[in-house]
Amino acid sequence: MRTKIIMVSIITAAIMILAVHPVPAHFGAVIPSDDIVTQDDDKILNVQVKFIHPMELHYMEMARPKQFGVLHDGEKTDLLGTLAAAKGKSPDQDQKFTFWSTDYQIRRPGDYTFYVEPTPYWEPAEDLFIVHYTKVCVNAFGMEEGWDQHVGLETEIIPFTRPYGLWTGNLFTGQVLLKGKPVPFAEVEVEYLNETPGNINVVLPPSDPYVTQVVKADVNGVFSYAMPKAGWWGFSALNEADWTLPSDGLEKGVEIGAVYWVRTRDMK
Amino acid sequence: MKHVNCLLAVLFVVLSASGPALAHKVNLFAYAEGGTIFTESYFPDGKAVEKGTVLVYDSKDQLLVEGKTDTEGLFSFEIPKIDDLKIVIDAGMGHKNSFVLKKAEVEARK
Repeated sequence: MRTKIIMVSIITAAIMILAVHPVPAHFGAVIPSDDIVTQDDDKILNVQVKFIHPMELHYMEMARPKQFGVLHDGEKTDLLGTLAAAKGKSPDQDQKFTFWSTDYQIRRPGDYTFYVEPTPYWEPAEDLFIVHYTKVCVNAFGMEEGWDQHVGLETEIIPFTRPYGLWTGNLFTGQVLLKGKPVPFAEVEVEYLNETPGNINVVLPPSDPYVTQVVKADVNGVFSYAMPKAGWWGFSALNEADWTLPSDGLEKGVEIGAVYWVRTRDMK
Repeated sequence: MKHVNCLLAVLFVVLSASGPALAHKVNLFAYAEGGTIFTESYFPDGKAVEKGTVLVYDSKDQLLVEGKTDTEGLFSFEIPKIDDLKIVIDAGMGHKNSFVLKKAEVEARK
């Protein structure tokens, strides 16, 4: 009798250990060629839309998104038709994967929030679908207006810190919304984009917990994180959708993520 | 004494030329369309520069146009010359900035 209990305990413990073994964090990514456009800059932005493991540089195959657009001066513009497929891979991946890219001409001053709603991604390892609603903001010609506007996605992060012109070490604060309402105690994953252009100092995490940082929001869904290195940082708040999708005839859960990207620069 | 004056003058120039970190920095944005140049002048928070003076210079610093912004910070004028146009907004109290509209862009929209 006693041995049985011990055996069950050991098996339970083993399952729990397996269950907490970190699965690399998936991140939707929308990365523009610049986060601040001035009159001396190239006014054509290249914007890349990807599904990646940012710290490990891994790409995942990404289908054409369901929705891709830009919010500027209170107006949304559909840019889905402008996306062109491209291929990319990390140095240690032996095959290339699809991501999406567009060139967007900045014509007026103000903040431009690019947003994407991807096609649901089936993740067999987690037995669920993943949909990461992802945003990034670009400022143009010194008019710092619009960055805190809501796009109106099913879930999204609203920046409480102006999301451009950030120094290394700055605190990024944001609020997690689900159907327009704050998510109390939301868990937010944070990752550094190791393939940031011009980054000659690729980060080698000493152990798994360093790959993905985790912070929790307060009762109002507000979280903060201080970014220790120059480059692009992704913030991802995950929730379970109240809807399901079929896979092989079975209804499966959907992980919906609200993802936001910001760029930091060193003070020098 | 002369040195002190000189130093003050240098200091003044340095301060006047200081960068975009000023809290009340004024901005002007311009674009050309259908033979007209449209400008809008604003503070970083989006507030319009009202009754600001707009000065338009050619590449030889010759003044071509002068005008005032309206309550929305807007001022427009016919393309005065196919050239690199330097458009200056002067909102008074040292709030001044400029925008260069390239010749190619002016020419393409004449």
